[in-house]
Amino acid sequence: MSMRVRCDNPIISRRTAATFALPTLVFVGVFLAFPALWAMYIGLTNLRLTGISAIQPRFVGFANFVSILRDSFFHNSLRITAQFVLGSALIGQLLLGLLLAVLLYNVKGPINDIVSSIVILAWIIPEVVVAYLWVAFLDYDFGLLNVTRNLLGMPAVNWFFSHPVLSIIVFNTWRGTAFSMLLMGAALQTIPPSFLETADVIGASEWRKFRDIMIPLIRPHMITNAVLITIWTFNVFGPFLLTGGGPAFATDLVSIYTYRNAFKYFKLGYGSAISTIILAINLILAAVYMKLARRGRA
Amino acid sequence: MKSSWIQRVSLLTIAALLFAISATQAAGVTLQITANAVKGGKNTQDAEWIEAVISEFEREMKAQGQDVRVQFLPAGIQDEDYKARLALDIKGGGGPDVIAFDHFWVPEFAEAKFLMPIDNYLKAWPEWGQYFDSMKAMGSFKGKTYLIMGGTDVRMIYYNKELFKKAGIPVPWQPRDWNELLAACRIIKQKLPGVTPIQLNAGVEMGEATSMQGFYMALQATGGWIYNWNTGKWIVKSPGLLDALNLYKTIYVDEKLGDAMLQVSPKARDKSFALYQAEKIAMYVEGTWMWSSVIAPSGAWGIPDRDTRIGWAGFPGSGKPGAPPIASVSGGTGWVINPNTRHPDLAFQLLAKLNSAQARIDYWLKKPGIPPRKDLADAPEVKANPFISETTKRLVPYTTYRPGSPLYPEVSYQVQLMTERVVTGQMTPEQALDAYARAVAEIAGDANVEIAK
Repeated sequence: MSMRVRCDNPIISRRTAATFALPTLVFVGVFLAFPALWAMYIGLTNLRLTGISAIQPRFVGFANFVSILRDSFFHNSLRITAQFVLGSALIGQLLLGLLLAVLLYNVKGPINDIVSSIVILAWIIPEVVVAYLWVAFLDYDFGLLNVTRNLLGMPAVNWFFSHPVLSIIVFNTWRGTAFSMLLMGAALQTIPPSFLETADVIGASEWRKFRDIMIPLIRPHMITNAVLITIWTFNVFGPFLLTGGGPAFATDLVSIYTYRNAFKYFKLGYGSAISTIILAINLILAAVYMKLARRGRA
Repeated sequence: MKSSWIQRVSLLTIAALLFAISATQAAGVTLQITANAVKGGKNTQDAEWIEAVISEFEREMKAQGQDVRVQFLPAGIQDEDYKARLALDIKGGGGPDVIAFDHFWVPEFAEAKFLMPIDNYLKAWPEWGQYFDSMKAMGSFKGKTYLIMGGTDVRMIYYNKELFKKAGIPVPWQPRDWNELLAACRIIKQKLPGVTPIQLNAGVEMGEATSMQGFYMALQATGGWIYNWNTGKWIVKSPGLLDALNLYKTIYVDEKLGDAMLQVSPKARDKSFALYQAEKIAMYVEGTWMWSSVIAPSGAWGIPDRDTRIGWAGFPGSGKPGAPPIASVSGGTGWVINPNTRHPDLAFQLLAKLNSAQARIDYWLKKPGIPPRKDLADAPEVKANPFISETTKRLVPYTTYRPGSPLYPEVSYQVQLMTERVVTGQMTPEQALDAYARAVAEIAGDANVEIAK
C-alpha cells in the first residue's frame, strides 16, 4: 500500500497535497470566484446605488444586456477602445518595445544602461504621477509642449480636445513600452549566438537576420506579450486621469464607460452587466491569441 | 511548559483588548461631520465656520459633562463625486454622522433609506418654527423631514464692469431680452480679443451646474420648464426647450460667443472660475455662491475688489410673448443625519448647533446667502447687505425650484448631455431634443412624459 502511494506521488500523498491546496482554493473561491459570480448576478437586476431600487432591486433578466448592446455610448466606447488597443498596445508598446529591444541587443555599456533606465522609469512611476506629468505636458493653457510651441512662434494646440484618442495612445505607449522592451529583450537573449554568428559568416544583412532568425525564434514570446498587453490595455483606467473620458466622450474607453454607469449614474446593475460583457470579450481575445500561439508552435 | 506559554499569550491578549476597550470608552464619543469644503480651497468659508462651530460644540458638551469629540472630514471634489462617496459610505453601513447635503439629493437618498428622518427631534426644537415653509419643503420627501436648509440662492449674470467699460458698454447694465444680451456679447467679442464674452454652463463635465446655472436659466427665460407641476409629468418637447437649445447654438456654435472647448474639458468648472478671475470671461451665469464664495475676496478664485469690479444683472427673458422679464432658479444645501450613526441624539444636538441662530448668523457673515429663516432675514446685518437684499427683492419673485423626484438626477443628466451635443456640434437642437425625449421617456415611462405646445 505504502509502495503504491509512493509510486503515484513520490513526494507527498494526494491527500496531503489537497490539504495544502485547500486554503488557496478557499481564498480564491471567497475573494475571486464568489464576487465575480455575484457581479454577474447583479447584472441581471436593476440594482442602483440610491433610490427605491437600492433597497428593492428587481430581477430583470437580460434587460440590461439588451439595452447595453443597443446603447450608442457602448458602441462608441468599443470603437474607441479598439483604436486605443491597436494604437497603444499593438503598434505602440509591442512594436516600439521590440524595436528598442533589437536596437539595444547589440549595444552594450552605458548607452544601453541609460536608455533602459529611462524606459523602465516610465513604467515604475505610479500611474497618478504619470497622468499628472502628461497633463502638465499637454495642457492647453500651461502645458510644456504648448509653452514651447508659443516660444517658437507656433500656435498652441488643445491636444486633449483636437487629438483626444492620439493623446491617450501616446500616454499609454510611453507608459507601457518598458514591459514589452524587457520581455522582448529577454526573448532575444534566448537565441543561440551561433545562429547569428553563422549568418554573419555567410554575409546575411541585418534585416534578413531580424526577419529569418530573430522573429521566428521569439514568436511565441511575442504572442504571450501581445495577449498580456492587449488585455491590460483593454481594461486600463489611467486615461481617465487625463481626459475624464471626454471631451464629449471622445476617450470614453469601456472601462470608463463602466465606471460612469456604475459610480457616476449609480446604475450598479447596468454596470455589472457591462463588466460581464467585458469579461466575455477578454476571454474571446485570450482564446484567439492562444489559438495563434498553438498554430505558431505546430 | 507548552500550555503555560499559550496561557500567558492569551492572558496578555485579553488584557490588551480590555485596555483598548476601556481606553476608547475613556476617550468618550467621537462624531464625524463632513462637507464638500476644505480650508484654502473649495468652500473655504464653510470649512472655517464648521471648525469654529464644532469646537464650540465640544466645549458646550464638556460643560454638560459629556466628553464628545467632533472630527471634521473635509473634501474639495466635484459635487457628483462627493455625492457618490456619501452613497457608497452609507450603503456600506458607515459614513460620517452629520453630513452637508444638497437638498435635491434628498428624494433618491430618502427612498433608499440613506437618510435619518428627524421629525421627532424637530418637534422638540424651538428654532424649527423660524424656518419658512418653502425651506421646510426643500428638506422633506413624502411627508418626512430629513434636512435642515442652511440657505438658498438665486441665479443671475455676473459681469465684469471694467471689461464692459473697455468695450464701451454702459454700466450698470441690465439686458431686457436675449437680443440685448447677445448684442453685449458681440460687442465684447469684437472689441476685446482674447476675452470670452459669456459662460453659460454646458455639458456633462459640469454636472448639475450645467442644469441649474445653464440650461434651466435659458429654459425659464422662455417661460418653459422640464416638469409640469399640475400633471406631475416630465415635459420632453416644447417650443421653450427648443428656444433654449437654440440660444446655446447661437452662443457656442454659430457665433462662438462662448468657449465650447472649455465646457467639455476636464475640471471645466474650476478652469472657468480661474478664467473669470483672470478677466478672460466677461459674463458668468451663476448662483449666489459665486459672489459669496468663489470670487469673494477670501474665496478660492477671489477678486479683491469684487464689490466695485463685478456687477450683477438678472438673466433676461427671451423676449418672445409669454416669456418672463427675468429668469432665476434656486437650490440650496443643508444638513442631514446618517441613519448609520450610533449616536442619533448627539448627532441631532450637533445638527441643532450647526443650525442655531448664532451659528447661522456667523455663517451668513462669512458667506452671505438668501436666509432660510425669519430671524436671520430680519437680522440687521442681513438687511444691511446690498447684494443679498437687492437680489432677494429682484430675483426671488421669478425663481423656481427643481422637481423633488428620485428620478430627477437621471433626467438632469440627460439635460446636460443634450446641451453637450448641441455645443459640440454633434447634433442640431432638434436632434438633441429628440434624443432627450426618448431618454426621458425610458427613464420615467411613456405615461409620465408629455409634449407641451
